[in-house]
Amino acid sequence: MTLKETFLNPILKGNPITVLVLGICSSLAVTVTLKGALVMTLSVTVVTGLSSLIMSLLRKGIPNRVRIIVQLVVVAMMVILVDQILKSIEVTFPIDKQLSVYIGLIITNCIVMGRIEAFALGNKPFASLLDGLGNGLGYGLILIVVAFFRELLGSGTLFGVTVLSPEWYTPNNLVILPPFALILIGCIIWVHRGIIDKDLQEK
Amino acid sequence: MNTNGNIYTIIYTTLIVVVVAGILAAAASFLKPSQQANIKAETISQMLQAAQFDTQGMNNVQKLDKYAEEIESAFIIDAEGNKLRDLGVTRDAIELEDGLKAQNYAIAGKDGYTVGLPVYVLKGGVTLIPCYGAGLWGPVWGYIAIEPDGTTIKGAYFDHESETAGLGARIKDDPAFRAQLVGKKIAWEEVPLFEIVKGGAPEGRENAIDAITGATMTSKGLDAAISTWLAAYKPYFINLNKEEE
Repeated sequence: MTLKETFLNPILKGNPITVLVLGICSSLAVTVTLKGALVMTLSVTVVTGLSSLIMSLLRKGIPNRVRIIVQLVVVAMMVILVDQILKSIEVTFPIDKQLSVYIGLIITNCIVMGRIEAFALGNKPFASLLDGLGNGLGYGLILIVVAFFRELLGSGTLFGVTVLSPEWYTPNNLVILPPFALILIGCIIWVHRGIIDKDLQEK
Repeated sequence: MNTNGNIYTIIYTTLIVVVVAGILAAAASFLKPSQQANIKAETISQMLQAAQFDTQGMNNVQKLDKYAEEIESAFIIDAEGNKLRDLGVTRDAIELEDGLKAQNYAIAGKDGYTVGLPVYVLKGGVTLIPCYGAGLWGPVWGYIAIEPDGTTIKGAYFDHESETAGLGARIKDDPAFRAQLVGKKIAWEEVPLFEIVKGGAPEGRENAIDAITGATMTSKGLDAAISTWLAAYKPYFINLNKEEE
């Protein structure tokens, strides 16, 4: 696989949400607003990218028996750093507050440790960085699509700007609740596997 | 080299934990000033919103400007309502009393804490006081703005650390909840001074509002926070009302 494919594959063909079905839980929780989804995308991308890079650099020296613990320590460090940085920037401070525990819970996002186990421990640092970034962006792409529909239909706004005027549009409360995100993700998986990438279907 | 030996494993894990701890400690102390600036601006924004100023779309600098423009005086009072010391109110020296948790211990009479409650008086005589207590999952707190008459509530703003989204979190997210307090009166001579009533406040009662359906514990916690803190401020407001008569 070339470096370009390593980066692009998880965004399209091997998308962590629609193909690997990883990271579903957080995509239900943080997709109520586009701003939240965008900050989450950036955070997850940074965490997966840099953790994969660090783990790939360390891969030859890690004692095999404690490798999961070492991964956990590195990922936890990245997550705490991202959380601290979001808290210290004026623009992201309120969004970090709104996302509350979900930033901290990036550590439990299966994509992060999944990519370290499956890719970073067996590949060179630069390729691992690209793989991590690609997976973060692939996850984020779905997050943003879901958040687009949920914010538009649920609040009538996009990035907080009113698009569907409350004069003639009554916001649909179901859209705000997590079950609708699950339905939407189901539809996206169907569109991806059934229409865009037909070869993903089981023969 | 054998990377699976016991000694290698112990040294490796120790080293990695120490390095990570060092990085995190350095990052935390480096980022602390800007985090505190954000928290200060947010607190100020909540106080302004309690007093019915719109701070939406304002950045940190504008919030601090607005506060400096509106504030008349701020000071700490003791348990009898006497002024202890002033808090800074000029633009470059804004001081807030943010140790609400310690004050809450003091009000509850825990050893080692002495009451020193903050009072913020806006131009025009509106008084802002904080409240703090325990919700269901974590602390709840807020600011209550009281009209110059010392009895009528002008507005309030509540916040929480980790109440359930859609239920307890409505104390912050639902403007209709805090709007209930507007125009209500604190009954300084009664017990309780103010109440959040489960199942709905009785018609015509001036010192009660409706609790949030499905968020009993949060409502109870906020009720306790408001009534205990108001009780702590009672001497101050009684004096204030006497002076006016």
